[in-house]
Amino acid sequence: MGKYDFSWRIIQEHLPDLIKGLIITLQISVAGMAFALLFGLFFAVLRFSQYRILNIISNAIVQVGRSLPLFVLLFWIYYGLSLKFKINFSDFQAGAIALGITGGAYMAEVFRGGIKAIDQGQSDAAFAIGLNRMQTSRLIVLPQAIRIILPQTVNIYVGLLKGATIVSVIGVSDMIYVAQYVSLETFRPFELYSFAGVVFIALTLSVASFAWLLERQLSGKSRRG
Amino acid sequence: MDNSVPIFDFAAIWTSRTLLLEGFGIAMFCATAAIILAMIIGLLIALMRLSNSRFLRGFAFVYTQLFRGVPLYVLVIWVYFGLAIVANINLPKIPAGIITLALLNSGYLSETFRSGILAVNIGQSEAAAAIGLTKRQIKRYIVLPQAFRIVLAPSGNQFVDAIKDTAILSIIGVPELMRMAQQQADLFYRPFEFYTTAGILYFIAVMGVTKLFSFIEKKMNRIGFTNGSQKLANVGEYI
Repeated sequence: MGKYDFSWRIIQEHLPDLIKGLIITLQISVAGMAFALLFGLFFAVLRFSQYRILNIISNAIVQVGRSLPLFVLLFWIYYGLSLKFKINFSDFQAGAIALGITGGAYMAEVFRGGIKAIDQGQSDAAFAIGLNRMQTSRLIVLPQAIRIILPQTVNIYVGLLKGATIVSVIGVSDMIYVAQYVSLETFRPFELYSFAGVVFIALTLSVASFAWLLERQLSGKSRRG
Repeated sequence: MDNSVPIFDFAAIWTSRTLLLEGFGIAMFCATAAIILAMIIGLLIALMRLSNSRFLRGFAFVYTQLFRGVPLYVLVIWVYFGLAIVANINLPKIPAGIITLALLNSGYLSETFRSGILAVNIGQSEAAAAIGLTKRQIKRYIVLPQAFRIVLAPSGNQFVDAIKDTAILSIIGVPELMRMAQQQADLFYRPFEFYTTAGILYFIAVMGVTKLFSFIEKKMNRIGFTNGSQKLANVGEYI
């Protein structure tokens, strides 16, 4: 069939649609991250609870959440749940929830790791000078834990952003979805998917380097302080 | 008409059990082949990033950033459809899937390997150089075996991610577990049962691999491979 001649004009012509798709990608990833923070915090708190049964339940849920592929979760929530229990989520809602469950399982570990990393001596010292449990958490443990948690949180967001590319399989009209239907019209899949790929690489790299900067900044402060 | 259908009907699962297990086997095969390939490429890239040549370092850096940044969805379409269009390379589905997963994971693994190599105490190479080992020998006998231990757990996590990622290969038609589940769910109109079963199978695979890697880690610790921090703790006990 000879050499393939590229036609990058397609991108230019469909740029408004592609950008609209990108905005939906960003929206769904942010919504997913909001769920992830909620789920993560909730399960991390359960892990630290005094009741053993709560620890076990939360541990099990986190394990399951981390083991299921996002793809399976999406189909399970969107097709499985809706058909079986008549819980009808819109494609966007189903996508955000699936991202939230996956991200939440990882966030729970991040929260737990961050809080556990703070030396026990810190809280002991805080108790010794007369702070109560609440004050110790708020004034001593959390400010230090945040330094560890924040960069990892941004990294998890990068993961969700990349995960958000597959929500088009349940029909969310994100950038990949736009690339897909435009390429069906124009027979230019290579150009369109390449464009989407480059946009995503740029996006994830910039967010990831933000995490890296954050990490350096925060660890620098702790050394000085 | 919906009320006539029992709430949970897992009979259909039993009917298509061979298809699902076949898909499971293909998924595991893809993940295993991909992770082995990714480890080889990842190690090469990690060594390049630590080399003296500026060109190799630059290449390795771009390689890592590229494959860590690109979403799997886009990469698999690039490899399967893109290569066919642009370079006339028509890969069969399963090899295309394996190559895609290997490329993606090699980006992550190279970073893991690099930090593993850097985590080996510099005193080790200095001591090796002092007793007359060449640079090559130091890498081969001193640094890499110790780095291997450090990267074992993160590599296990990468393997888990690869297993989960095989589900996405269904979009190019690799007949793996998710693809089979999708087909059968449509056939029997039982999405809940089939996707639940698929989820359970993925869970079993992930748990199995996690347990396997922690078993290897324990085994290695028992035969005298203690990690750096443990060694330090032991020294502390004697002082």
